[in-house]
Amino acid sequence: MSAIRSCIGVDVGGTFTDFVVLESSGLKIYKLQTTPENQSQAILSGLKIFSVHPETPIMHGTTIATNALLERQGAKTALITTRGFADVLEIGRQDRPHLYAFSQTKKPPLVSRSLRFEVSERINSKGKIQKELDPSSLSELMSSLKEKRVESIAIVLLFSFLNDTHERQIETFIKTELCDIPMTLSTDLLPEYREYERTSTTVINAYVRPSVQHYLRHLEGGLKGRSLYVMQSNGGTLKADQAASEAARLVLSGPAGGVTAAFVTAKQAFSTDTPHIITLDMGGTSTDVALCPGRIPQTTETVIGDMPLRLPSTEIHTVGAGGGSLAQVDRGGLLRVGPQSAGADPGPVCYGNGGSIPTVTDANLVLGRMVGAEFLGGQTSMALDEGLSRQAIAHLAESLHCSVEEAATGILRVANATMERALRRISVESGYDPRKYVLVPFGGAGPLHACEIADSLGITKILVPRYPGVLSAMGLLMADLVSDASKALLSMMDALISDPSPLGAIIEQLKAIVQSQLPSDSDKAELECHLDLRYQGQSYELTVPLDLPAHPTSLKSACEAFHRAHHQRYGHSERELPVESVAVRLLARIPKSFTSPKTEELGNPSMKMSDYPRVNVYFSADQPHSTPLMYRDHLIPGCRFEGPALVIQYDSTVLIPPHWEVSIDQWMNLHVALLLS
Amino acid sequence: MNMDPIVLEIYRHRFIGVAEEMGVTLRRTAHSPNIKERADYSCAVFDAHGNMVAQAAHIPVHLGAMPASCAAALRTFSDWKPGDIVILNDPFDGGNHLPDLTMISPVFAHDDLVFFIASRAHHADVGGMSPGSLPLSSELFQEGLIIPPIKLCDAGHLNESVLSMLLANVRTPMERKGDLSAQQASHAVGQRRLESLIHEFGREEVCTYASSLMDYSERIMRATIESWPNGVYRYEDQIELPDNKSAPIHVTVKIEDSNIYFDFTGTQGTLDAPLNTVMAVTTSACYYVILCLMEDEIPINAGCFRPVRVQSPPDTLVNASRPAPVAGGNVETSQRITDIVLGALSKAFPDKIPAASQGTMNNLTIGGNSADGSPYAYYETLGGGMGAAPDAHGLSGVHVHMSNTRNTPVEALEMQYPFQINEYGLIRGSGGGGRFQGGEGIVREYRFLAEAVVTMLSERRHHAPWGLYGGGSGRKGKNLRISADGQRTLLSGHFTRRFYPGDILRIETPGGGGHSSDKNSRST
Repeated sequence: MSAIRSCIGVDVGGTFTDFVVLESSGLKIYKLQTTPENQSQAILSGLKIFSVHPETPIMHGTTIATNALLERQGAKTALITTRGFADVLEIGRQDRPHLYAFSQTKKPPLVSRSLRFEVSERINSKGKIQKELDPSSLSELMSSLKEKRVESIAIVLLFSFLNDTHERQIETFIKTELCDIPMTLSTDLLPEYREYERTSTTVINAYVRPSVQHYLRHLEGGLKGRSLYVMQSNGGTLKADQAASEAARLVLSGPAGGVTAAFVTAKQAFSTDTPHIITLDMGGTSTDVALCPGRIPQTTETVIGDMPLRLPSTEIHTVGAGGGSLAQVDRGGLLRVGPQSAGADPGPVCYGNGGSIPTVTDANLVLGRMVGAEFLGGQTSMALDEGLSRQAIAHLAESLHCSVEEAATGILRVANATMERALRRISVESGYDPRKYVLVPFGGAGPLHACEIADSLGITKILVPRYPGVLSAMGLLMADLVSDASKALLSMMDALISDPSPLGAIIEQLKAIVQSQLPSDSDKAELECHLDLRYQGQSYELTVPLDLPAHPTSLKSACEAFHRAHHQRYGHSERELPVESVAVRLLARIPKSFTSPKTEELGNPSMKMSDYPRVNVYFSADQPHSTPLMYRDHLIPGCRFEGPALVIQYDSTVLIPPHWEVSIDQWMNLHVALLLS
Repeated sequence: MNMDPIVLEIYRHRFIGVAEEMGVTLRRTAHSPNIKERADYSCAVFDAHGNMVAQAAHIPVHLGAMPASCAAALRTFSDWKPGDIVILNDPFDGGNHLPDLTMISPVFAHDDLVFFIASRAHHADVGGMSPGSLPLSSELFQEGLIIPPIKLCDAGHLNESVLSMLLANVRTPMERKGDLSAQQASHAVGQRRLESLIHEFGREEVCTYASSLMDYSERIMRATIESWPNGVYRYEDQIELPDNKSAPIHVTVKIEDSNIYFDFTGTQGTLDAPLNTVMAVTTSACYYVILCLMEDEIPINAGCFRPVRVQSPPDTLVNASRPAPVAGGNVETSQRITDIVLGALSKAFPDKIPAASQGTMNNLTIGGNSADGSPYAYYETLGGGMGAAPDAHGLSGVHVHMSNTRNTPVEALEMQYPFQINEYGLIRGSGGGGRFQGGEGIVREYRFLAEAVVTMLSERRHHAPWGLYGGGSGRKGKNLRISADGQRTLLSGHFTRRFYPGDILRIETPGGGGHSSDKNSRST
């Protein structure tokens, strides 16, 4: 094997399956059409076509779990609860989805009433058994489970995070009678308090697990011994067979790869381990943003399809504005963009598939910010029709009483305002100053909007990765091998400081769990421990790092870190109030030392802009700028140039307005900076 | 300055963003389950004249009541300084009922006052005759500490005397202090955000767009009302009283071109039970119904309500005067007012108006001592059935109309208070039948581990939520006490009682009414 270990990243999206192959000869990228009915088909044919070495491992990002959940194609799942609480899953938090609407619908729960079973037992809030598990209620349960032919079982009892005896007894009982039905115990997956969130998470896992298991087994069969790793929601990968039993950990993996890749790219480009970046992943229907203050942010407060999923995932904020967002004038005369989207079909008007309402993409095209003939590498079948876009926007301009260019810039400004609000929420509103951050745009449309969005937030530096359109697949190559676990620990920090032994015991338990999921030679795994802390009396926790081993000094500094985090997030801290721990999180990581290949060849430091062909681009509505058109593939390290410029490439378009300057580094990233006037 | 429709849309995001961010801060730093888990609060931005520019979508009953608070603060003070925070809860001077403590603070651009921001949070106890401060009172003075508009902070200095006076009058002073400082923190955040908007875009532009946004909402509202059928529509329904009697509420709704009028003449006079409302609450209920009838998503601000007039003769139960008791008016009577407005409009909008929903919030307050001897006051409300719409079944086990607070997790509650939950579920078949069925009510059973005083304000225990166009009624609610020896006692809709260890309180909330008769529908 050569110095660069070869590796394949395969990311399955709605339209395309992206392949990124890293070999000693360099990096290769390609796209195949996704085969939605069986994702593994496109993957296996891609591997054949490109004859990748048979031992090269595969890093895989899959939407199987997400699709099974959102399209309700998961397993026939049963839920077993404490008597009196079978409806917790259906009631949720008792709030209605819309505040001002007479006619409302909620999606039915993943487990219907006839498949929710209650057993007689009770653990109290101290973790003591108040009522023993009644064996007669178990045998009744067994006959129903058999009769209804359930495919997966979730077990969630009250206070099981304090005492798992009854959940385990039920598991053992069922196993002896129905040996091959997968069971998910809340005490294994999420031993934390709040019954609805724990139930929802456990049920999601039980629901998607059989589909994921089946898919991964099938794919592994086709791979003939090639090792397979899958991306998790926490931004790390895990061996496929380990990942399958906790399949809910894959549900939010889609956007995680892109953030990981943006972070690693920035690490390299700025030669630092702690880059401060804001990611902007603009797709067709939505935009995902994340703020990385020297680390990739994690959260456990995610909601998907209206269901809480309390497992660690990369903290991403999503808004309904993307290239396909529809622009319309409402009856009060206001221009609205999104959240409705033209989707893949008909898509933007310029696709010529019958769309008539203009989209953000149409506005970009009309303003000369995209080159219709060059879309997706200039395949004639994908050429965009600017005339159709112009017609649609002219119609809109009429109702706004303005010119086509004014309407088109208006569409972009409103779309940008939606994204700006998302970026404000994760920066200013969370206590971070965006001006100290570098914006990393990706996705097909991110680099088109990046400079204007940066401007509105006072951001002066932008980093455009070499392949912004396939960054999620790049992320698969860069992601560490990660396994994580958590456990409730409700205790005052003062008590833990004087006697850390209960915490030490939990950390040992968690260590055994996370290490069992990593390869056996995982002694080099790095352990990261976090505590969820809050002021006594609060209900929301902040997660802060804890240095291992846990001893009074490291616990005191965790408390300090909590006061600081509270001050940063909410603008005040209350040092006189006692701090309370709620949960312990442990993560084992085997780092991936990924380095993208450098290009040593240095270009001419000052490029002659006059050598480039010119196109007319509207940066504002009043008049077009004659703008050099450049091909990303022709740019070489060391080049510098000033905007305006339009840089086109196979997977994206980068728009550089006047007053921005570009330089290219040895990894072929574009560093875009605002010129000081 | 010309209004640019594109910039206006951008400002809509900005103002809502301020109110939402205040709400997030309040919730995440609060101490009582009522704010942090149930999210019983609202935040809003007002212009210098007290016109509401934006309200984050939190609690509908605060819609008309938040502007009333701002107006009261403006009436009381003229010497505003940066760093001032006014606090109030007096229902007859800007409040709605005593547990809702409202803070109002000014935002300055240089030396000029340009905006106000306000937050309102339901505090789990503000003193008075029963823990939780939602008592069976006969006059306001029994309901808790009355706070007229006063400055809690003067030019940035916390008035410690006011705070200690306030805390001395409540059962759980530490929790109150934590919640009050969460409210203050939310004001600091709101102020910072507005100041940075003004700094970035200039005072003139920000203020101009604030007022353009209100004009915009008014335009949409008028255009919508103009499309409605002109006419006069009447309806009457009952509010149930503690003595098992009931009192009528009557409304006449007039739609005339681009205006709509609500007149409550014919409603019973002020009650000596805590079910009166102040005009601001009655107004909120009318505003709520109008917002539900809008087809477009509309920025919620003062402009929305310019085409709306709400009136009632003085000294009625929907327009009470000092010192009438009002504790339950905000939470219970407001639901009934919504029902009768819907009943009246069902004739104008047969294809839109739903059947009656549970029509109550099932307010439960529990007070006693924790295991360590310290006093506690706990408040929660229970969802129930939503009325079926002309095109959809009603939702089950949700809060309806004027409230949308969340539940407190059983595991959170049992770790903090000396009672347990035996059962928490939906009551099968409790929704009214019909082509579209009403939503189901909730059952929640509490088992007491220590002695406690329980107060309940709940409605629709005698008069079931009605169906529409042949749909059946929802099942009535029920409150039961099951003593340690198994004896069952049916309790009234409104009661205060002492419960002993081993006693059980079982609450069954009403189902929603059904819509349209249908012989083939599932029997209920």
